[in-house]
Amino acid sequence: MIKSKLCELLGITYPVFQGGMAWISDGHLAAAVSNGGGLGIIAAGNAPGAYVREQIQIAASLTKQPFGVNIMLLSPFADEVAKVVVEEKVAVVTTGAGNPSKYMKDWKDAGIRVIPVVPSVAMAKLMTRLGADALIAEGGESGGHIGELSTMVLVPQVCDVTDLPVLAAGGIADGRGVAAALMLGACGVQVGTRFLVAEECNIHPNYKEKILKANDLATITTGKRLGHPVRSLKTPLSRSLFQAEYSDISDEALEEMGVGKLALAARDGDLQNGCFLAGQVAGMVNRAQPAADIVRELCEQAEPLLKGASAWVK
Amino acid sequence: MVYEAIAKLIAEHNDCDVSEITMDTTFQALGIDSLDTVELLMNLEDTIGREIELDQKVETVGDLVRFVEAKCQE
Repeated sequence: MIKSKLCELLGITYPVFQGGMAWISDGHLAAAVSNGGGLGIIAAGNAPGAYVREQIQIAASLTKQPFGVNIMLLSPFADEVAKVVVEEKVAVVTTGAGNPSKYMKDWKDAGIRVIPVVPSVAMAKLMTRLGADALIAEGGESGGHIGELSTMVLVPQVCDVTDLPVLAAGGIADGRGVAAALMLGACGVQVGTRFLVAEECNIHPNYKEKILKANDLATITTGKRLGHPVRSLKTPLSRSLFQAEYSDISDEALEEMGVGKLALAARDGDLQNGCFLAGQVAGMVNRAQPAADIVRELCEQAEPLLKGASAWVK
Repeated sequence: MVYEAIAKLIAEHNDCDVSEITMDTTFQALGIDSLDTVELLMNLEDTIGREIELDQKVETVGDLVRFVEAKCQE
């Protein structure tokens, strides 16, 4: 069985996090992942505190296992959500899109394990110093807002500058990815895209179908010109965003083209106008399963690979 | 002293001459994003030998210089 210090730190069976995906990762999905032995994570996204509280309460009613909340720090409701996780005594908070230092003391005082997503070595150093409990090194293979570095490059460099447990994220969808991540120095993984097709994931069936049908070249990165690149599936919307980026359209108008499009994908399955966030591994996700099976399979597939690794050493 | 240290780090980062960096130069014009700023600050800490926690937005080199000077006087 794959075990790491992350399991002890958080009281989880498998060192697998389900990534917090805006408009997607709700209390039901998070609870299913946590019941499967991983760490389920509710995405706060741009939602207000009341929504996040409701999802936490749903998850708490469905599982006795620890689960987390991902707080998108650029959200206009970040301050509100930061208080809600304290009031609701959430076990773990992961953060994205910024620096969570101003909330750190309150969270630590409340006994919350704080695990920021870091896209660079400097951020990893800073978060280590601020008292984070672990780090998620997320490479640009992942879906949604992405950094510049790939997982293969980022993870070992982050591991080199911190003594904290590091989770690898981006580009991991099966046991081979888990084994590789552990070889790079990580002691756990965060997986998003594969959980999109989990049976407990409440997104529109069109979204799931697009993931199951996706191939290796199915994703595209847009928004580079605006300074916050986003990876999503190639669709009429993402193609037009990509073209617009290289036209003389203003930044404001370009930004406006993307507003509200995540909901159109996740809630309405709008194939023309929705933005279907997905990582490059979408091409490897070919089967809908219960979330617990995904968590277990990720680790069970990695076991023989890691045991067999000595075959390379003559 | 803070200005000189910051200008030197930016010049090294951007492979440009220190003279091209003034107090009014914006980070946007330098192509320095928020992640680069974190890296610059970590390097600046090594130079000036104390920790700096950036808890506000800085748009120009002058903003950063004034912020660091204020922190150093605290």
